[in-house]
Amino acid sequence: MPNASSTLAAPERAATAATPTDRSRRRKIATVVALIVAAVVVGIFPAAAPNAYILSAGVVILSYACTATSWNFMGGFTGYISLGHAAWFGLGAYGTGILVRDLGLPSFVAWALAGVVVAIITVPIGIAALRVRGASFVIVSIAFVLILLLVFQGWGSFTGGSNGLVVPRPFPDLMRPVHHQVFFYLFAALLAAMLVLWWAINRSRFGIGLKAIREDEDKAEALGIPTRNYKLVAYIISATFTGLAGGMYALWFGDLDPIFQFSILLGSYMVLMALLGGIRHLLGPLVGAIIVGIGLEVFKLQFGDTQFHLVATGLLLALVVLFMPDGIIPALQAGIKRFGPQSSSIREMTAGELAERNRAAGVSGASVFAGRKAEREGVENEDATTPTEEEKR
Amino acid sequence: MTATAASGATTTVSNLSTRGLTKVFGGVRAVDGADVTFHEGKINALIGPNGSGKTTFFNCVTGMIKPDSGTVTFKDRDITGKAPHAIAHAGIGRSFQLCRIFPRMSVLDNVLVAVRRTGIRSLLAPARTEAEVTKARQLLVRVGIDHLENAEARDLSYGQQKLLELAGVLMGDPDTIMLDEPAGGVNPSLIGRIGSLVQELNAEGTTFLIVEHNMDLVMSLSHHVIVFDRGRPIAEGTPDIVQSDPRVLEAYLGV
Repeated sequence: MPNASSTLAAPERAATAATPTDRSRRRKIATVVALIVAAVVVGIFPAAAPNAYILSAGVVILSYACTATSWNFMGGFTGYISLGHAAWFGLGAYGTGILVRDLGLPSFVAWALAGVVVAIITVPIGIAALRVRGASFVIVSIAFVLILLLVFQGWGSFTGGSNGLVVPRPFPDLMRPVHHQVFFYLFAALLAAMLVLWWAINRSRFGIGLKAIREDEDKAEALGIPTRNYKLVAYIISATFTGLAGGMYALWFGDLDPIFQFSILLGSYMVLMALLGGIRHLLGPLVGAIIVGIGLEVFKLQFGDTQFHLVATGLLLALVVLFMPDGIIPALQAGIKRFGPQSSSIREMTAGELAERNRAAGVSGASVFAGRKAEREGVENEDATTPTEEEKR
Repeated sequence: MTATAASGATTTVSNLSTRGLTKVFGGVRAVDGADVTFHEGKINALIGPNGSGKTTFFNCVTGMIKPDSGTVTFKDRDITGKAPHAIAHAGIGRSFQLCRIFPRMSVLDNVLVAVRRTGIRSLLAPARTEAEVTKARQLLVRVGIDHLENAEARDLSYGQQKLLELAGVLMGDPDTIMLDEPAGGVNPSLIGRIGSLVQELNAEGTTFLIVEHNMDLVMSLSHHVIVFDRGRPIAEGTPDIVQSDPRVLEAYLGV
């Protein structure tokens, strides 16, 4: 018996060992190519943009990409869907604006400090919100953004209320197109920093723990993952980067209104973009942001001031959920795999062999511990086994 | 209790015991003042009718549920009400009643989740270090699913998922393993495989606590059987003694 199983196992391992390395190498090459293309596009876009409107649309899309990617630190890794991440965007934006206005800090010092403030506020909010899961967490996250909306609207003396808050421009001497160009690169740099961090977490020990929480939180806890602390750290990272994106937006746009900064719609866009691209993938939220961002601009131009652009966006989401429930990137990967070598056939074959091997091992194992007893029961057991084995084939 | 008196010659060593453990759900006393002492280095089985409180007892010991009163002692330390991950770190590994794995992670990553590392720097270091991957592969070889290491766990058969869950538990190097119905929904040949794995690991010094309804497996495998009814043990002893205890026959077999 042992001889038979070891000769069986050896070629299997050799066969399966070749495919994953090929696959991972191919994936690595694809990622590198995608990054180079992205860097080139980002590099030449401001120069190639025909007018200031296209350039500013580019800045908006990059700011979307920043928010969707920062949302994905929480949503993608832990599976906790926050619809209220606009709260962190708004706090970062208002934090930056108020620090510049009241303390006269240099714009980017205020921006970094606002990030720290957001991180600090996240701790108690996270401890409270992460006590619940699933739909309850979604509702808590919405409640928080609505509370902030009321506070920032009502506390006019401090936040400017519904009149809005004007944020002094960091580069007052720059012409508008150049201003857009500078912020295009600033957003791109912020996004790049997030992508590097996401990539590092994804392959880290911490990342594997977060993904285990996404798959089965109780099971992860039982295997020794301190789930509460892991979730909280992911939440702080996610909220802080969302806040930094909000602060950058404040410095770029220069005018804040609670209605837009603390809106459910903004938080929903982050979720939509991340889901659209694929929350399990590094570049998923970026891809989603580009598609949704372009879609929103086009729909706005088409439908003007009406709310039809929201209907069109809703239809886009419906189509993706119907036909690509895991997002665009996984759908494309599956499509490419269909044309490539069919690695799954190897697996099906080995599953059959495994059954063979297990049956052999099972019999010898049983005889070790039960001796005659196994033989006695063997007759009864045979009847029970037959249907399941047939099902397998 | 009668059993210990009967086989009085054997001295019991225990690293895990409960005193007066109680958990009430609404009006139901799921676990009702349970005093249980598990035999160290042995295969202990917990049997009893459905609804007798076995799984709740299990969850109280592993920290998934906080007991209302009573204590759980492991290696002379009070672990009552500690977080499950802390209890796992203390050295108790567990499986779940209906097998639970991480469906959309690879088989290898499923095992690697249980790696123990502390400190921020090591947490941010890559998840797949050579030593840990080698150890995880050895465990996959041991349970017989090493050729599937790159498959997504959800693509495995139910039996393979049970083996994967066991490999994950072993990755944490527990000295006590609690299995909740390891033979449930598994074909007989695989039951034999799981049974012999348990015996191998026990021979290497691992204590087992097994909740199981498959009487043939329980009686052939375990050294010490504890019978639960209405949230507390009603009898315990060697398989032979328990099988002939009239209270057990009444509660469990309905004779």
